[in-house]
Amino acid sequence: MRKRYVEAPGRTDEASGLRFFRKSEAVDLFFVGYGLLIVVLVAVSYAAGVFRLLPHDPEAVNLDLMLAPPGTAGHLLGTDFMGRDLLARLILGIQAYFLPGLLAIAVATVPGLALGVLAGYGAGRADRVITWFSNLVDSFPRLVLILLVIAAFKPDIYFIMVVVGLTNVPATVSLVKVKIRFLREKNFIEAAEGLGLPRRTIVLKHILWHHCRASLIIRATLGMGEAILMETSLSYLGFGVQEPTPSWGNMVQSGANYFLQGNFWPSTVPALAILLAILGFHLLGDGLNNLLERKAVY
Amino acid sequence: MSLKGVKPVARVLAREVAVTALLLLGVSVVVFCILYLAPGDPFSLLLEGQMSAGAPGQDVREAMGAPNAWHARYLSWLAGMLRGNFGASIRTGLPVLEEISRVGLNTLLLTLGSMAVTLLVAVPIALYAAVRGVNRVSFPLTMAAYVVSSLPVFWFGYVVIYLFLHTFGLFPLAFGGSQGTNRLYLLLPIVVLGLGNGTLSEVIRHLREEMGRVLSEDYVRTARAKGASVWKHAFKEGFLIPVTEIVASKIPFILGGAVIVEQVFNWPGMGRMAWQAAQDRDFPVIMGIAVLAAVFVRAGNLLQRFVYIAVNPGASRETIGRRVA
Repeated sequence: MRKRYVEAPGRTDEASGLRFFRKSEAVDLFFVGYGLLIVVLVAVSYAAGVFRLLPHDPEAVNLDLMLAPPGTAGHLLGTDFMGRDLLARLILGIQAYFLPGLLAIAVATVPGLALGVLAGYGAGRADRVITWFSNLVDSFPRLVLILLVIAAFKPDIYFIMVVVGLTNVPATVSLVKVKIRFLREKNFIEAAEGLGLPRRTIVLKHILWHHCRASLIIRATLGMGEAILMETSLSYLGFGVQEPTPSWGNMVQSGANYFLQGNFWPSTVPALAILLAILGFHLLGDGLNNLLERKAVY
Repeated sequence: MSLKGVKPVARVLAREVAVTALLLLGVSVVVFCILYLAPGDPFSLLLEGQMSAGAPGQDVREAMGAPNAWHARYLSWLAGMLRGNFGASIRTGLPVLEEISRVGLNTLLLTLGSMAVTLLVAVPIALYAAVRGVNRVSFPLTMAAYVVSSLPVFWFGYVVIYLFLHTFGLFPLAFGGSQGTNRLYLLLPIVVLGLGNGTLSEVIRHLREEMGRVLSEDYVRTARAKGASVWKHAFKEGFLIPVTEIVASKIPFILGGAVIVEQVFNWPGMGRMAWQAAQDRDFPVIMGIAVLAAVFVRAGNLLQRFVYIAVNPGASRETIGRRVA
């Protein structure tokens, strides 16, 4: 069933010691497994943060125990420059991006779907107008556009994430459009049309539900990675969540003052969390893409 | 239009330039709309503390020759911009274009340099992986690229500064200080942004997939059978086009990364200026930077289209909106 568009040369080289990884399904499954682990970890930690099941009060200052390294008794990941528990702040910091990230995904998906169907099914003119708008949105470096919006509106993180979502609309549009263009030629769509099914049913059920579901989930996981990157970058720049409320970005930023003195942990712990989380969402997206869309090279 | 056969290349190029101009016009409308919708227009910001209370009066506007209707405001802003007048910074009072051109070169150096670094790292890995497939060299390298692409660039910058401070004894915290800028220090932010802008793994993947696809095409197999140079045959479709495509589509990301890297390294560029302007609500500056950044992005895209058409003169209108995943 699994067919490759590309048979990369050298793939069957028996001299390679990576017998396990040569089967690209194995790599993809590993990616997806790691990504799912991260998703579950983030979701569970988020729930723990919501219900305040934290090892410590994340805002409790303890000046006797400042900049403690990881493994200090009672503070698994150490403390920051005010003696606040890093693990608790890390868990609570998920709230800074979790719901806003979901909002960004929703904003990217819903209009993206509608415009993608229009561009894919519509006449040449609709496609041209939508492509023009996509190119227009793609013309702005995202961070610069967001700085512009920040200067204009002094928005909160949800507003910013709506903008992030809007900048992701073109990607969804082109994904749906290409899918529809490809599927329209297929026999089963022609058959459905021949049988007189309403276009609504064809689009919603046969095209979107049966053939775009996987791609949209993949886009969504990548979107979550982007949302984490955006939120942490903005918090690092001082435009996102403000102290004392923790966010991974402002934790890195406040810890950075002590980094050059040799106190790595206060900024490295959240930085590693960012790294592992973004890596998880990216690998999940790529692994799913390879497994479900069957165009892997790994 | 009933053009038979392949369009003349000049005609396609003219079309591309026209599309770019139209897009830049759209960019200016978007930037203006964001400003227009903002609560408290720049006028009230300018007059803050100088007027007693309330909105600036109609008479002040008229006295300063500022139009009131939105279309008149837009047109006067656009006309000024086309003549190179981006207005004056609210914070410093200096002309925006002068301010930006003072630091723009630094940002251009940073972004172009880091693009070169990204390609220098990505291209060998991608080509090796495309030719040899998955093996014990290409797999770890590709994995490493994934990890590096997920690094938060602001933390990565501190790590590099720390390493240089302790292993080389360099104290890279001043740009153009009293004893002149250290050459090595100029390289640091470029390398950090080149590796950490989050596009490394995508560049590798795109180039590897395209090159791998082209290498299994019939015409390359024919070339190989004839004993002709495979590289020469695969170069245009398997290397030149994917590289220009991915670079053009990643310019916005690199510009965004520059905002952060300039912050980490105290690099006096457009990104830091944009950050400062966003904090001060310095509208003319941030608008000018947004427009210029969009010009930069569109110029990159136009260049990519030129390369594409030069390589494949039969490029039809179908390919005009082509996106890189």
